[in-house]
Amino acid sequence: MKDFMLLFISQSYSELGLSPEEMQARMGKWFAWNSKMTEQGIVKEGDALQDNVRRVSGANRTITDRTGAEVKELVGGYYVVSAKDLEEATKIAEGYPDYDLGGTVEIREVMVFDQ
Amino acid sequence: MKEQKMIDHLFRHQYGKMVSILTRIFGLNHLEMVEDAVQDTFIIAMQKWRNQMPDNPEAWLTHAAKNRLLDLLRKSNAENNRAVKFDNGPSAIAISQLFMDEEIEDSQLRMIFTACHPALDPRDQIAFALKTIAGFSVNEIASSLLLKKETIKKRLSRARKAIKENNISFKIPEKNELLKRLERVHEVLYLIFNEGFHSNHKKILIRKDLCEEALRLTQLVLKKEELRNGAGYALFGLMCFHFSRIDSKMSDNFESIDLKNQDRSKWFFPLIELGNSAMNKSLEYEDESSYHIEAAIAAEHLKAKSFETTDWNKILELYELLFEMYGDNLTALNIAMIFIQLNENKNARKILDDIKPQELEQRAYLYYGVEAEYFININEKEKAIQCLEEALYKVTNNSEKNYLLEKKKRVG
Repeated sequence: MKDFMLLFISQSYSELGLSPEEMQARMGKWFAWNSKMTEQGIVKEGDALQDNVRRVSGANRTITDRTGAEVKELVGGYYVVSAKDLEEATKIAEGYPDYDLGGTVEIREVMVFDQ
Repeated sequence: MKEQKMIDHLFRHQYGKMVSILTRIFGLNHLEMVEDAVQDTFIIAMQKWRNQMPDNPEAWLTHAAKNRLLDLLRKSNAENNRAVKFDNGPSAIAISQLFMDEEIEDSQLRMIFTACHPALDPRDQIAFALKTIAGFSVNEIASSLLLKKETIKKRLSRARKAIKENNISFKIPEKNELLKRLERVHEVLYLIFNEGFHSNHKKILIRKDLCEEALRLTQLVLKKEELRNGAGYALFGLMCFHFSRIDSKMSDNFESIDLKNQDRSKWFFPLIELGNSAMNKSLEYEDESSYHIEAAIAAEHLKAKSFETTDWNKILELYELLFEMYGDNLTALNIAMIFIQLNENKNARKILDDIKPQELEQRAYLYYGVEAEYFININEKEKAIQCLEEALYKVTNNSEKNYLLEKKKRVG
């Protein structure tokens, strides 16, 4: 088995103007997806990320702060899942609940170094 | 996995509760900030609960709202370098009190009465109530009222502006004013209910949501003793009676089904019983209202085992009472329809002649629909078809259009 990181990229939830009813429904979908994967021992770890983005870049360590509203494609969370290969990881990623909101999942295999 | 099922509409209802409590603390001037803050709380909950739901989601949300409120206070204090002045000046201890069930209900009632303040345009009142009390989003209001998003946005901002400009305070009005405002509260709830029940929205779920909200809020109003009266109970009874047959009102193809062709076994009897007991309660008060009569009419329909065994004479009597109260064209049209059922065609004709269809505006098609029934009854098929064509020309919504087309096919 290999580890894959699933990166969830979408607009910030705050920008989507979801209604309370829609948020409850969405939460239910995520909960179901997460429960199913936990039950099957697929998820190793994962979290949701805050909207605010700070970037440090360049030789001068320049700091730029951005709010979720300013970034169209925001990494909103991640899971590390275990799967046989990329194909299986892709199958897992298909369960991501936010495709209908324009979300994207980026799948990255975690690199393993031999001793 | 822990088996957990969240209460339906928990977020939506909790939204209304939290907005009401926070508004009570911050005052109506800060309504927009309050709504944003509550929205934020939900976004956090939505993400946090992916992995594990709290044992008591409602308590979690209330707690989070309270914390969010304290955050806002701190932030506001820091920005202004002074303590926030509350409109109503509750102390920290009083704030805790506001999160008790009874006080939450009281806050919600204050919001309902605010929504129904006469300074607000009647159309804006409905949108505002759905947003702040029922927790609907702009999109949801637009889609349930079959209006444009922009229209709803305009109505909401007009309502907020009216509240600010008139310096409306966040409370239930006192004695003299109370009765009048309560009347408007009932009207607004009645209108919300009708939007759900009589609309031709294709999505039955949306229609049910509106009806359920109206029922829930009417129930909330009746919880407080000072707000109980005959009209309130009768309105609740009326809603129960109507709502008991919502599932039989629409076919699987989203066509509306008239009373004559509804499957009466689909009617939901527990609600009818609830309606009956509300009607009994309404008799304990002296006031009378059109809701009493409308509920009595609905009850009469529910009593009948079949369309054919409906007591039309009794219903006619009730509609005539209603007509005495309002003298409106729609009631007159109903009376004409009953005369047709009773085969008293001359009486029906007389009433139809008294109505000016153009006064019915967008409902003018109903007039021609009834007139068509009249001609069918007296065997004048050609004239009936002419009427149906006129109705088809005037009708705008598809479900009604199909209904009329069907009818035309059967006559022709």
